[in-house]
Amino acid sequence: MDGGAGGVPEGRRGRRPRRRGGAAVLSTDRTAPTVVPGPLAAADELNRRLRTRRTEPAANPRLEALALAVTANQPVLLWGEPGIGKSAALEQLAAGLGLPLETVIASVHEPSDFAGLPVVGDDPAVTGVPMAPPDWAVRLARAGTGLLFFDELSSAPPAVQAALLRVVLERRVGSLVLPEPVRIVAAANPPSSAADGWHLSPPLANRFVHLEWTHDPRTVARGMAGTWPEAAVPVVDPGKVPGAVARARGAVSGFLTARPGLVHHIPGDAESRGRSWPSPRTWEMALTLLAAGYAAGAGREALAAALTGAVGDGAGIELLSYLEHLDLPDPDRVLADPDAFALPERGDRQLAFLIAVVAAVQSDLTRPRWEAGWAVLAKAVDAGVPDVAARAATDLAAMRRLDWPVPPGIDGFLDLLQMSGALPGAGR
Amino acid sequence: MTEDARRALDTAKLLAARYRAATDRPYLASALYALTVVASAEVPTMGVDRHWRCYVSPAFVDATPVPELAGVWTHEAAHLLRDHHGRADRLPAAAQRDPHRVNVAQDCEINDDLLADGLRLPEGRMEPRLFGLPEGGLFEAYVDLLPPHVRTPDCGSGAHGTPAPWELTGSAGPARLGGAEAQALRRQTAEAMRAHRRARGSLPAGWRRWADEVLEPTVDWRRALTGAVREAAAWAGGAVDYTYRRPSRRTPALRGVVLPSLRRPLPRVAVVVDTSGSMGDAELAAALGEVTGVLREVGIRGNRVTVLACDADVQAVSRVTSAEQITLGGGGGTDMRVGIAAALAARERPGVVVVLTDGLTPWPDERPPCRVIAALIGPGAPQPPDWVETVRVPA
Repeated sequence: MDGGAGGVPEGRRGRRPRRRGGAAVLSTDRTAPTVVPGPLAAADELNRRLRTRRTEPAANPRLEALALAVTANQPVLLWGEPGIGKSAALEQLAAGLGLPLETVIASVHEPSDFAGLPVVGDDPAVTGVPMAPPDWAVRLARAGTGLLFFDELSSAPPAVQAALLRVVLERRVGSLVLPEPVRIVAAANPPSSAADGWHLSPPLANRFVHLEWTHDPRTVARGMAGTWPEAAVPVVDPGKVPGAVARARGAVSGFLTARPGLVHHIPGDAESRGRSWPSPRTWEMALTLLAAGYAAGAGREALAAALTGAVGDGAGIELLSYLEHLDLPDPDRVLADPDAFALPERGDRQLAFLIAVVAAVQSDLTRPRWEAGWAVLAKAVDAGVPDVAARAATDLAAMRRLDWPVPPGIDGFLDLLQMSGALPGAGR
Repeated sequence: MTEDARRALDTAKLLAARYRAATDRPYLASALYALTVVASAEVPTMGVDRHWRCYVSPAFVDATPVPELAGVWTHEAAHLLRDHHGRADRLPAAAQRDPHRVNVAQDCEINDDLLADGLRLPEGRMEPRLFGLPEGGLFEAYVDLLPPHVRTPDCGSGAHGTPAPWELTGSAGPARLGGAEAQALRRQTAEAMRAHRRARGSLPAGWRRWADEVLEPTVDWRRALTGAVREAAAWAGGAVDYTYRRPSRRTPALRGVVLPSLRRPLPRVAVVVDTSGSMGDAELAAALGEVTGVLREVGIRGNRVTVLACDADVQAVSRVTSAEQITLGGGGGTDMRVGIAAALAARERPGVVVVLTDGLTPWPDERPPCRVIAALIGPGAPQPPDWVETVRVPA
């Protein structure tokens, strides 16, 4: 559009060279004017110096969780106090994902801005008033991809929020449909913190992945010294996609089969209803997040934050426990070949695994399987956790048929059992 | 380095003690085995960090009998299960400055339960009774009541949250648990405790309370009440519509087009206070303060809020403007139906009615044409009908 100086008299326009179309042409051979250093030059230099920052690679599960939800193209709602760097995190994320970032401050808009803006032709009575989408939507639609960030959602009047949420959930701005690859993130202040804190209605809350955004005082203190953390953004590996989808489907479906009560559960109080809670819709979101997490090799903490942000704390944590159990070696396969398995690293999971092995021996008690069970326990003793194996050993010993020889591995447990007071004296 | 420090760790004895602790209390087995042992000559006895690594002094293992070592294992696991480091981070800054004092308070919280459960702990253990404090409290309550400069063998950053010199930093060293994994382990342990209680019926009261809190966290009534009022006000005030009565401020920019402006009516709220007197003054004032505070926050004030004091004896309803004007009568029955009816009979009908009552009242037979929120003050209040949104305020 031309400068739009509709009412400026011709004489005021000066004698600039003009091209057809009305835009002024600036001659290109002119060098940039040399700036005479003013009194503020040194101050600007100081500010420039403060703006240059070093970054160091650091794990940031929160940012990773946000990246995961954005990668999985789920609508994200960031809950955080004003001024803790939500926008800065979004910039970092957009740079990491190579997406153009469009930030829209929700609180300065009217609902009509999201329903399209009226554009006036020469004669509205004849040509009507076309509704044009705002420029940020046009830019995103033209680019075909991007990261759209609605900031200060909770400070906007309810009607604006309603109009905005339509953009988030239906991906439409007026008559313009945002392309599928455009990712949408919104930010809001929690109801308990700010005066304009905000309550989402349960049906709306249930359509978002909710992520808590807090600041870490230590990180900020280090940042003031000039070094900010830079987290690696998880990227989906195309080779892992088919396997990740199958694995995630199996995990979520298996979990909900075992825990049907968690398929749908609305919390009792208004505060929790305005956050994440389990429903068929959010389980669908959790499935997408989990598949994206598997395919991108996301960290455990990030996956945990994203999953609890979709289905709520309780259900999310239970799903994680279930996934940990799924990762344990299959006891029957281990008993078939007790020399080729890796013991889990953590003691509580070793315990779960050994209990599963003992249960597998008990369910189909044969001498080779029983002896394979001892071989598995011997591995646990070698790994330096005889006390974890001792529980399984006492159960396994009780299964012995009279004609089976005493296995050599049992001596490894006798000292421990005597010391702990579980065996009287020097039992043989 | 002293002779003690160079001594090798007697792993067999230490693990025998853990085995004993886990077999005596099978519901703690997962938590105990999740701890990774790190031998350290600098730690006074045993200590834990945030990542569930347990630092053990070889000399302490040699000097302590197995049953007491088992008690210390349980003690250290309890610090982590109860998320002491996370709770210590949320203490006010003044209390955080003295980690030793926080550690003593935390030991008091744990040990009274352990001793009541018949566990043996080494000499020099901390208990609430040593400081003349009641048993069964949380460390946040104990920490301000302790004398200054109390000390106890340091349990590490897994307890009081301040890193100790002997702790491994960064991701080096043996297995570590992240925050989400620790939370999963807490839930798992709480489930195991419930299962144990159903099967055997015996679980120390402290652990029972802890498990209930982990599996069904109680929401602070203030948050629940303000949340309910806020939501109801947003719902009642949600009737936003375009109006042409006052054109939009953007109209001048567009020749020949008149844009509508937005109009958002503010809801009216009536607060009905039960004055029958079976509830405490303090709780009533607190609940009323929360309600009026949140209404002010969402911009509903002045003549849009009506507070009615409802006294069933005289069937009278009076308007008040501040909590001081509410006088609680003694005894007597309550009938909040009178108060709700009076609120709805006003010339400007409210969109939300908030009732503050002890719950010993009949309710209207059918649902009134507005949102009703009840703050039930005091224990043992009967449940109102389903259409009342209920928040319980413990007295």
